[in-house]
Amino acid sequence: MKQIIRITVGLTVSCLIAALLMGSVFIVTDKAKKHNEHVNVQETMLGLLGYTKSHPAPPDLSLYTIYRYIITDGDTSTLGYVLPVRKEDGAGYRLMVMDLDGQFVNQYALDLMPDEASEPTGRANALKEVVKPPRTFVYADATILATLGQKRLAYLLPGEFPGFKTFIHVMLALDPSFEILGLEIMEHEEDPGLGAEIKQDYFKNQFKGKTFEKVKDLHVVKEPLPVEYKKYLETGRGKASPISEGELETIRNTYQDKDIYALTGATISSKAVTDGVKNMVAKFAYRINRLDSVISAQHIPVAF
Amino acid sequence: MPATTKTNFQLVSNGILNENPIFRLALSMCPAVGISTTVMNGIMLGIAVLFVQVFSSCTIAAIKNYIHPRIRIPTYTLTIATWVTVIDLVLAAYMPAAYKEMGIFVKLIVAFAIITMRLEIFACKNSVSSSFWDGIGMGLGFMFGMVALGFVRELLGMGTILGYDVLGVRPLLFFVLPAAGFFCVGIMMAMFNYMELVYNRKRRAKGI
Repeated sequence: MKQIIRITVGLTVSCLIAALLMGSVFIVTDKAKKHNEHVNVQETMLGLLGYTKSHPAPPDLSLYTIYRYIITDGDTSTLGYVLPVRKEDGAGYRLMVMDLDGQFVNQYALDLMPDEASEPTGRANALKEVVKPPRTFVYADATILATLGQKRLAYLLPGEFPGFKTFIHVMLALDPSFEILGLEIMEHEEDPGLGAEIKQDYFKNQFKGKTFEKVKDLHVVKEPLPVEYKKYLETGRGKASPISEGELETIRNTYQDKDIYALTGATISSKAVTDGVKNMVAKFAYRINRLDSVISAQHIPVAF
Repeated sequence: MPATTKTNFQLVSNGILNENPIFRLALSMCPAVGISTTVMNGIMLGIAVLFVQVFSSCTIAAIKNYIHPRIRIPTYTLTIATWVTVIDLVLAAYMPAAYKEMGIFVKLIVAFAIITMRLEIFACKNSVSSSFWDGIGMGLGFMFGMVALGFVRELLGMGTILGYDVLGVRPLLFFVLPAAGFFCVGIMMAMFNYMELVYNRKRRAKGI
């Protein structure tokens, strides 16, 4: 009996010490960690828009996030968009509800501060105020709109789709005509040396510059990547390029309308990314067009 | 096993050669087969294991007199898990660049057999300083094994070393796949054992 008590006490004490240690380290580091993650996402987004440290973003560039929620009321579901409001109209956020056919239903003012809006719990608390039971809401996705002054510069879409093993998380940048500006792989678990090559410039940059019409009909071809094209894809912004400007232009024009060249030994991963991107672009174009028409019809003073 | 009489240098070299975790002790084979596809992976995992091994060994050596023998294994696991969590959090908070590369490897370590085994065999019977050197030796030995495996697999599988193209072609794509890990580990283990055999035969022939 004495043994049992000693073992129990010993285990409890060691667990408590470990928990205390881990807990205190977590409290100390949590803020810095969140900050780092935030900076990382910001850098990726600016990088996709073509801004780097040596080529910083202009001061009138602003990023607005639109959150999409699915609101269900019994059998019917509607879409709720959390939209940032223009500064002249008091800033803040508004919830705009529309049905699945794109018809405007209602709009509500939200009691939401910008720093709360970036946190899921903050948004949920504000939404609970206006979406009363029996209606329930589920978070669907977020889109980031980049504007330069009054002009829309790009859309940034965080998204995920199934890869070879698990989900591939990406960030896709589209210009206002839905041409792809860039693709960044955020997280993935593809096989190193095979599927993991999707992270390499020579694969992901193939998507750059594909127009909306082309993306609709984008396929994967199992052909070796031409050497000059590979060189072109690997010349990033700011890096010394072995190819002259004129040649770059010719190569760009030659391969503009070509399909995606599959990675050697990783056709499934290549196909997964291509199909995923295709899907994301098609769905997004459909949604944003509907959203825009409702916003302009209802004269909602959105910030973008 | 009584407290060790080896010098610090012997403790370190023991971990790298005589008791190399991968090739001699055959412990922690999952990462050896799964992760060792590139040299860089090997280095990253090696560094991560080195730190966790040293910290855990020192902790256990310091508190060995207070651990009830019946609950020593849970205590070891707790110690390792605590250090892994602490290192993971600190890296994520203060070294985001390093975390980007090493983050996934650090989280894997909790389940590594080599660390638990070293705590059980060595750290709980020896002083803090010898445990420290033993931890360094084991960590370096593990890193050596992983880098050696990664070198062969990366060179044969992808034709690159540390991401730099050296061959220009991909000779045998098969080597990047998990199955090839078993072949590489097996062949290298055999080579290691054979070398030791030859070395001992020479020593005997010299009559030492």
